[in-house]
Amino acid sequence: MSDPSSINGGAAVAMVGKDCVAIASDLRLGNQSLGVSNNFEKVFQFGDKTFLGLTGLASDVTTLSQVFRLKTNLYKLREERSIEPQTFANLVSSTLYEKRFGPYFIGPIVAGLDSKTDKPFICGFDLIGCIDFAKDFIVSGTASDQLYGMCESLYEPNLEPEDLFETISQALLNAVDRDALSGWGCVVYVITKDRVVKRVLRTRQD
Amino acid sequence: MFLTRSEYDRGVLTFSPEGRIFQVEYSLEAIKLGSTAIGIATLEGVILGVEKRVTSSLLEHTSIEKIVEIESHIGCAMSGLTADARSMIDHARVEAVTHSLHYDEQILVETLTQSVCDLALRFGEGAQGEKRLMSRPFGVALLIAGYDKDKGPQLYHAEPSGTFYRYDAKAIGSGSEGAQAELQNEYHKLLTLKEAELLALKVLKQVMEEKLDCKNAQLASVTKDGGFVVYSDEKTDEIIKELTKQQAESEDSVAEAVALEAQH
Amino acid sequence: MSRTTVASEYSAEIQSTPIEHRFNPYSDNGGTVLGIAGKDFAVLAGDTRHVTGYNINSRYEPRVFDVGDNIVMTANGFAADGKALIDRFKNQIKWYKFNNGGKKLEMQSAARYIQQLLYGKRFFPYYVSTLIAGLDEEGRGAVYSYDPVGSYEREQCRAGGAAASLIMPFLDNQVNFKNQFIPGTDGKEKRPFEYLSLQEVIELVKDAFNSAAERHIHVGDGLEILIVTKDGVRTEYSPLKRD
Repeated sequence: MSDPSSINGGAAVAMVGKDCVAIASDLRLGNQSLGVSNNFEKVFQFGDKTFLGLTGLASDVTTLSQVFRLKTNLYKLREERSIEPQTFANLVSSTLYEKRFGPYFIGPIVAGLDSKTDKPFICGFDLIGCIDFAKDFIVSGTASDQLYGMCESLYEPNLEPEDLFETISQALLNAVDRDALSGWGCVVYVITKDRVVKRVLRTRQD
Repeated sequence: MFLTRSEYDRGVLTFSPEGRIFQVEYSLEAIKLGSTAIGIATLEGVILGVEKRVTSSLLEHTSIEKIVEIESHIGCAMSGLTADARSMIDHARVEAVTHSLHYDEQILVETLTQSVCDLALRFGEGAQGEKRLMSRPFGVALLIAGYDKDKGPQLYHAEPSGTFYRYDAKAIGSGSEGAQAELQNEYHKLLTLKEAELLALKVLKQVMEEKLDCKNAQLASVTKDGGFVVYSDEKTDEIIKELTKQQAESEDSVAEAVALEAQH
Repeated sequence: MSRTTVASEYSAEIQSTPIEHRFNPYSDNGGTVLGIAGKDFAVLAGDTRHVTGYNINSRYEPRVFDVGDNIVMTANGFAADGKALIDRFKNQIKWYKFNNGGKKLEMQSAARYIQQLLYGKRFFPYYVSTLIAGLDEEGRGAVYSYDPVGSYEREQCRAGGAAASLIMPFLDNQVNFKNQFIPGTDGKEKRPFEYLSLQEVIELVKDAFNSAAERHIHVGDGLEILIVTKDGVRTEYSPLKRD
């Protein structure tokens, strides 16, 4: 268990619905089997409707979230608009590839709505920036196997925001309950064209 | 029975020309020298009863152990060279607890009996190359009483020859002939456990030389709910009292009948 | 050169370092299995793909077996060990009958005996995750699951093998209703447990395997479900993705 990407634990998932997307993560930060914090969010907002989920080595999660904060702020100053999900995905990809031979040990996922078309967008990456475009869902973290199983069986296309929330929540909750390194609370963002709703879920605390 | 000794007398591995193995047959004689033991199977459970020969007033009667527990649902009574029974009981207990360990269930009474009988033949080498364990056959017979879910209350008689039979009621030991005849008369399928207790003591009383009391007789039962239980001296005493009362009453009624007969 | 070694008698190559040879007695033949206990039935399902590495050895190699006495069994992982364990257990059922007057081996006894078989090889284990399913003495569905060295537990449901980690949380959610609450109770009242019907269970099994086959390369080709009821064992086959 000296694998850097599974020292701290954590899980994240994103899903596409009908004119909406959802992105969620657990709240645990651990040091191997020892739980350290139950308030370590792994979802970050970088544009009006652009979100990033970051799992993996906690120091890299923090570092990268700050790097992207810097880069998206500069982007906004230069462009005078907030970054689009598509654009942000490419920013993530190129930033990660810069460290091709000394990578950040993370598993990023991006979710958002295009500000012009309101079209849902999600994607995931490997640790050196290879983008995985998906139409349905993206999973990441130490509970990724469990998340694949849950999403593959619970997911259906064109869910309304409320149903999408229920689906992504059940997927994440049940997945992290079967992973010792994830859990200790969850947070879910549902993004629709008029608003972003953030919900913190009550979960089992073991 | 065997008026002339022959050269086949001593070998346990050799048939005589008539097809007998004398040592095995002699071992059955050893049992006939032992104290009487009785078993009665009823629908409610099985009763075991034994005679204890308290040969001296200085002998501590509790040190005579002729009824022992094998597992919580199986007990056994013995007659003959009771020292030989130690290894059989040990073997039986090992078989019983090993079965529970392996199968998470209580061993069947018949299976247990079979495994004891397998041991009885170990005065010779086993077919699978097992070591010869003893120089001679056992000199003891067992009455194995037990309860299992498959066949309910059961009573088995295991002999040194390695054969066993299931009985409704069986007597072994010195008083076995008389006792068996009495059991034959008195046994019926609908006997209650209470009646079987009284019958066991009644039969023992008939074949014993000493006066029956809780020091020279012992009872035990095996039931579905209670498992194997050896009766306390107090309980045995009570049953003896009841038996005496019953017998006195029936004697009275017999006397009355005789008196009436005489009047006519 | 201070020391020289050759790879074998047939090799002319000379090296200066010692060559280490090692025999690996285990391999992984993939596949996944799943057992669910119902009120008066139990199912044990497994896919029929048999692999080594990226090669598919067979698209139809049954891995769930009727071992007699209304018990079904699977030992998933290293196929040779699985076969050996099941064969040995079948053999022991015969011996049990010889020794116990033809008595039926009850579920709990079968469960305990398999522990003995597994723990008997504590220091050279059968490399398998074992599941058995059947009916208990009261006629209720029962599933028992094991680790490779015999630690076992009776459960309502269990997934084993390659895609166990994908299927197990799904089962928690759909069989034991984990993380489900009664609407309107503000997440304070849990959805109570209730038995699923056989039809529902079979649909659940199919969903689980279709999902696993979608994402796991060691799962696919076919799905065989063995169903145990008081009337005996019945088999249902349905195809899975073959890619």
